[in-house]
Amino acid sequence: MITCDEFFAEFADYLENQVSPEVRQEIELHLSQCSACHVLYDSSRKTIKIVSESNSFELPQKVFDPIIDRVMSKLRTGHS
Amino acid sequence: MSFLGDVGPEQKFDPLVLFREGFGFVPSLAQAQSGLPRAMAAHAKLEEAVTFRDGAIPRIHKERILLGIAADRRDNYCVALDSGVLSSLGVPQVQIDDLLTDFWQASLSAPDQALLEFCLRLSRNASSVRFEDIEALRTVGFGDEAIVEAVVVTALALYRCTLSVALGPEPDFRMPNFPPKKDQVASEARLSAASSGSRPKAEKKRPYLPAPYFSPNTFRPFAVVQKTHGFIPNFFRAQTLRPDLLEAELEAVSLILLPEDFLTRVQKESILLTVSAANLNSYCVAVHCNLLRGLGLSAEDADQIAVDHHLSNLSKADIALLDFAVKLGTRFSEFSREDAAELQTLGFGQEQILESIVVTALNNFSNTLQMGLGIEPDFAPPSVFEKNKVNLSGARPTLMPPEGAVHLVDTSQDADSELVAQAQAGNLESFEELVRRHTQLIYRALIAILGDTADAQDAMQDTLLSAFKHIGGFQGRSKFSTWLVSIARNAALQRLRGRRNTESLDQNDSQEDRDFRPRQIAAWQENPEQNHSKSEIRQLVERGLLQLPAKYRIIVMLRDIEQLSTDDVAHQLGLTVPAVKTRLLRGRLMLREWLAPHLTTSARGAAQ
Repeated sequence: MITCDEFFAEFADYLENQVSPEVRQEIELHLSQCSACHVLYDSSRKTIKIVSESNSFELPQKVFDPIIDRVMSKLRTGHS
Repeated sequence: MSFLGDVGPEQKFDPLVLFREGFGFVPSLAQAQSGLPRAMAAHAKLEEAVTFRDGAIPRIHKERILLGIAADRRDNYCVALDSGVLSSLGVPQVQIDDLLTDFWQASLSAPDQALLEFCLRLSRNASSVRFEDIEALRTVGFGDEAIVEAVVVTALALYRCTLSVALGPEPDFRMPNFPPKKDQVASEARLSAASSGSRPKAEKKRPYLPAPYFSPNTFRPFAVVQKTHGFIPNFFRAQTLRPDLLEAELEAVSLILLPEDFLTRVQKESILLTVSAANLNSYCVAVHCNLLRGLGLSAEDADQIAVDHHLSNLSKADIALLDFAVKLGTRFSEFSREDAAELQTLGFGQEQILESIVVTALNNFSNTLQMGLGIEPDFAPPSVFEKNKVNLSGARPTLMPPEGAVHLVDTSQDADSELVAQAQAGNLESFEELVRRHTQLIYRALIAILGDTADAQDAMQDTLLSAFKHIGGFQGRSKFSTWLVSIARNAALQRLRGRRNTESLDQNDSQEDRDFRPRQIAAWQENPEQNHSKSEIRQLVERGLLQLPAKYRIIVMLRDIEQLSTDDVAHQLGLTVPAVKTRLLRGRLMLREWLAPHLTTSARGAAQ
């Protein structure tokens, strides 16, 4: 079985679903037997999901409308 | 700013001794490389591991394969060498003559004929090789280790032939008589039947052979590749059934590619890229595009070299160097020694020309190996190559478009292209519409760099004005959104320069970054999102993102919030894919540490 270090070396690719079937098998065997790595994997996966679905830093229309309006009026006056 | 570090090859053997042990003499093909001793050493290393030993395939059988391929290529030097070697190994002259006349009529066992036929087809038309061919070899009794070895022997045959075409060495043995190709009726018929177009295209299983997992921690050569390439390409991973061959290849690769005493790494990678492109090998194209980016070229420049190096911004001399390599690598029958003389008039030294020949030989070695083992790409190929995919059997190895520049991104696929054209013509409504489409992306890129929402809103205005000012210069070489992000990035960086403590986005990843280890090890709640309101979660994530260093924040935001692919993120930020991967993992793990106290099983409802 691979070691925790070896698992960690593949971790980035595993999270991105970019490991070969052979590597995946090794990793999944390791995860089934090492609780520390399993926690790391589980919480990282949840982190990605939470971040992806958080809508963080979504700029509300009422904030960006005036910015765009300001820019466009600058461009129109400088343009014609 | 290279991520390649300064790993120099160590050479602790005498190539002349290896050649003498293996052949009984030093072939003139090896002597012809004496102007570049490390090239000779690389060749010796390959021969020693691949040819000289009885591996899973006995040496005599391997020599037969080498002879068959040399004869098929009409390479007189190699035919003489291989015939001489077979004879010195005790093979009767009659058998050698039979092989040269028509291998299919030579007195070989059925499995040996099948193996020779497979190797000949791989050498001739690599893209016609399929998983079924590997299965067929298994059914006649070859083990997977032997199949890998046969593929590597074939690759080495092409390495030798490429060198022999370019270096024109004096024959080591008297030339045997061998008949013109048209008389090799039986073999010809079998080979052309097998590689004709009727073969199924569907390929479910790639790579063709299993490859045990090797860790860079325990297999030292992989640790070296990790350092020199920034990652371990599938090309090497797919050969772990034969660590002996793999080790020799890695040593040869280091000896040939790493030193910069004559050609630069960029020149060498460009050769590998253009010749792979001319061989229509999209796996190798994708790898070398990425390596060129790792060497500091922009994604656009690397893609342009793959598509048509004549239109790249390389110097006239470098373009001629690439023409030379493409001709040698793919149209060897047209090659003449005068091509080398022409390079000299452009200022290239003998060693540089020799090195470009060796790099081209190495390229054909790798292209053959990749096709023979069906190795899967590490990266998506550059956009222009996607249409072509790997298999283009029957295509002529001339990729150069006859005239005019090729758009690197098919702009008809960029939903913005029509509006862009109108905005470039001065239409303000079209510009406004474009900007509205991408407001969130621009804003998030700005926040990611500036780390402050108010600053980002101010920088938004600068970005939009700058985008309008420069839109005339946008040439459609990337997606419009990619271009907008680069404008936003510049606007943000300009703002940052006014600040006192600025963090660099471009700083190299330290060892510490790569060794970052998580500390929080308590298990998380089953569905943490359900225990908190959406706005609580959002606030928590936003605060977490803001406390990340900018170089991680921008990558996590573009990848996980804007949902861009790793490749796109690399494009937009001008980083290599491996650098993006390293920073993405680090950023995600730092966010995980930040979120953990709120989301572990013991923290239920504690996210105030």
